[in-house]
Amino acid sequence: MEQVMILNASPRAARSNSKEYAAIFSARCSLPCQYFALKGQPASRLIQEMEHFSHLLLVFPLYVDSLPVDLLAFLAEVQHNPPQNKPRLSVLINCGFLEPGQNDVAVDILRLFAKETGFPMGSVMKLGSGEAILRTPFRSRAEKAIGQLAAAVEQGKATEIATAMPLPRFLFIRAGNRYWKIYGKENGVSYEEMCRMDIENP
Amino acid sequence: MELILSDRPLSLPAAPQREYIDLSQKKITPCVGCFGCWVKTPGRCVIRDDAPQIYPLIARSHRVLYVSQVIFGSWAPRMKAMLERSLPIQQAFLRPHMGETHHVQRLVEEKEAVILAYGPESQEEKDLFCRLVERNRRNMNFKSYKVFFCREEEVQEAAMQEVLSWNK
Repeated sequence: MEQVMILNASPRAARSNSKEYAAIFSARCSLPCQYFALKGQPASRLIQEMEHFSHLLLVFPLYVDSLPVDLLAFLAEVQHNPPQNKPRLSVLINCGFLEPGQNDVAVDILRLFAKETGFPMGSVMKLGSGEAILRTPFRSRAEKAIGQLAAAVEQGKATEIATAMPLPRFLFIRAGNRYWKIYGKENGVSYEEMCRMDIENP
Repeated sequence: MELILSDRPLSLPAAPQREYIDLSQKKITPCVGCFGCWVKTPGRCVIRDDAPQIYPLIARSHRVLYVSQVIFGSWAPRMKAMLERSLPIQQAFLRPHMGETHHVQRLVEEKEAVILAYGPESQEEKDLFCRLVERNRRNMNFKSYKVFFCREEEVQEAAMQEVLSWNK
């Protein structure tokens, strides 16, 4: 029976947007899904789990234009100690910037991993504005795209989906900066303090 | 200043205004994505391992040599961890930059960057790593950059040649 192993590779794990994206995927996918967090799990246990699944969905945020370091290290471990069963690898990647295309290189890093290690490649969803979209009126866009990803995974397709908030750049920047200003204020840090230019000064 | 940031030990000539960091001898834990360096202690990471001594050097350098293994077309974990932990040198706030949205930089020098990458065998992997560096330049304030590939056993000699060229 086909089933999906969802692996949340966000460094924030339990408090991450990736966890929410994983939950939306589970709710929209007709295949049984099981959720795992990379953080705090031994790689060997997760590799062992892969033996039981036909699909592997990696869910994670873009970090410095690429994969979070814990995910990179995990993939290196998978390369050295591969499972006998290699599930079809699909990806749900989100970046905080507006442009979903900023995820392209990270996706190609995963494609190369799949090619070098013999994992069949499945579908990809690239999300821009992924830090914020779930708490805006544009949430439904993300949900719809995740639904499309779930359908593609069910059908074993290798499709690519991209979405983001439908905002012009200047408006996204204005809204994003307002969000960060409020976030700082909630922590007792003023806008001026957040804008300080020096680094590592007390 | 000049900075050499390497994921393996190297023997290189010292010079005034030049720092050499061997990341293999440093404790750099992964970024936890807490945003503390943006919204709690701006410009300072809340994790007090060796990274807070290094990212100010990255910010101050006008010339940097990055020496790193490459896996799957990406920086290998040791260098990648350091790049992630350099988040405090940027602000939370966004700006338009090179036709995209990016974070505002704090006091970060524009850099001439040289990347000495070892490990990749295939042209496909080399091309992918070059695409990654081209993306990184937007967030890492590279004025210019060059990427060189070599085999692991050639790293010491290749790094030496690059640094000697700085002395000319």
